[in-house]
Amino acid sequence: MMRETRIRRMPMALSAVGALALAVVPLPAVLDAFRPDFLVLVVFYWCIESPRAGGLSLAFFSGLALDVIHGVVLGQHALALTLMGAWATHLRLRIRVFSVLSQCLTVFLLLTGYQFVLFWVDGATGNPVTTFGRWLAPLIGALLWPVLTNLMGKIHER
Amino acid sequence: MVAFRSTDASGRVTGLLFRCVLYSLLALALIIVDKRYAHLVKIRQVLSVAAYPVQVAVASPFQGWNWFRDSVTTRDVLRADKARLEAELRVAQFRLQRYEALEAETQRLRALRDRTEGVTDRFVIGDVMNVDLDAFRERVLVDKGAGDGIYVGQAVLDSGGVFGQVARVGQLTSEVILVSDAAHAIPVQINRNGLRTIAVGTGETNRLKLPYLPTSADVTAGDLLVTSGLGGGFPAGYPVGTIAEVKRDPAQSLADVDVKPAAALDRSKELLFVWLKPQAAELLPPPKPVAVPKK
Repeated sequence: MMRETRIRRMPMALSAVGALALAVVPLPAVLDAFRPDFLVLVVFYWCIESPRAGGLSLAFFSGLALDVIHGVVLGQHALALTLMGAWATHLRLRIRVFSVLSQCLTVFLLLTGYQFVLFWVDGATGNPVTTFGRWLAPLIGALLWPVLTNLMGKIHER
Repeated sequence: MVAFRSTDASGRVTGLLFRCVLYSLLALALIIVDKRYAHLVKIRQVLSVAAYPVQVAVASPFQGWNWFRDSVTTRDVLRADKARLEAELRVAQFRLQRYEALEAETQRLRALRDRTEGVTDRFVIGDVMNVDLDAFRERVLVDKGAGDGIYVGQAVLDSGGVFGQVARVGQLTSEVILVSDAAHAIPVQINRNGLRTIAVGTGETNRLKLPYLPTSADVTAGDLLVTSGLGGGFPAGYPVGTIAEVKRDPAQSLADVDVKPAAALDRSKELLFVWLKPQAAELLPPPKPVAVPKK
């Protein structure tokens, strides 16, 4: 197929920018703690969908963008996203044949790992955030995963 | 689940481990350099310019809506507003009459007592951008940056009182850490009796606490807290908050004091960035290098 020979990076970049915007859209304070890591989900999607298009580079630079936008120590989200993106890439063949439930569980695991790396860097740089709220995001993100993959798949098919 | 195309499934990803290790080491190096040294401040300023379009794009629908709402208000509403503002202005002018005299007097008294606390010199107004930074930290993004002369550690006020200080400066934007952030502390004194202490943020928007007052301290609910000006970061005499509750447990040596902040931390849209008068600043010891604003 033609599509196989030519790697399309445009949908990748556009979805990443869209997810980055969703990461800073103002929400009511009550909902703010429930905001899933949209960009992380998008990066996982591309790591699994077309790993040869440079999912890991996307992961690193998306992480860097998150660092700048969140105003935390530079490299924190980049490290977490690189590690978890690599893991997602490693597991991609298995994830593709998983049932929806297993996919959600795997993504929950990946997102929790992501939060754990963030948590660890926060602690190591002397800014610990110890509220339980931050462990909610992986749960919401995992629940959102089937919706996101279907949506992205539809956009990608065009 | 048809979300993933199967055609790509057999493709091997070459050098995954290598790239993973490479990027991870790069990220770790960034973390260490950003934490320990000041080299990345410039890079971050440049990167924040790159992030600016996204932030503006997110904030603009809200600004557009506000603009729309402003443009369609009726004449009656505008007239009512005008009447109210005129009345407020009259009161304000009446109060202002004595201000000049009082300021001169204050300066004289300060000189007599040889105090070095800061006096405000000039200020710039910045708008809070409608962007969420981090759900678990009390910070806001403001549309004034290094290009407007904003510096790290600068005091930020709103119409009610002390709002926070500048934590990080980009070229076009800056990040303000609120007084209620768990990593923020501000030297204060109780207006009624001059008792000095430190107000520390709690991470909750509408609560500060005074963790360093002994149970025997003369403090009651309703007392006004103002900045003491010690430490040189904040100008003296601006309201920080009022004491909401004092819990004294005889078994403890320190009282548990809750403060309600004076600034509208969750509502203010316009903030004042304040510069201190130079002569006051000169008398202070030179500030430490502020590469890392928070430890």
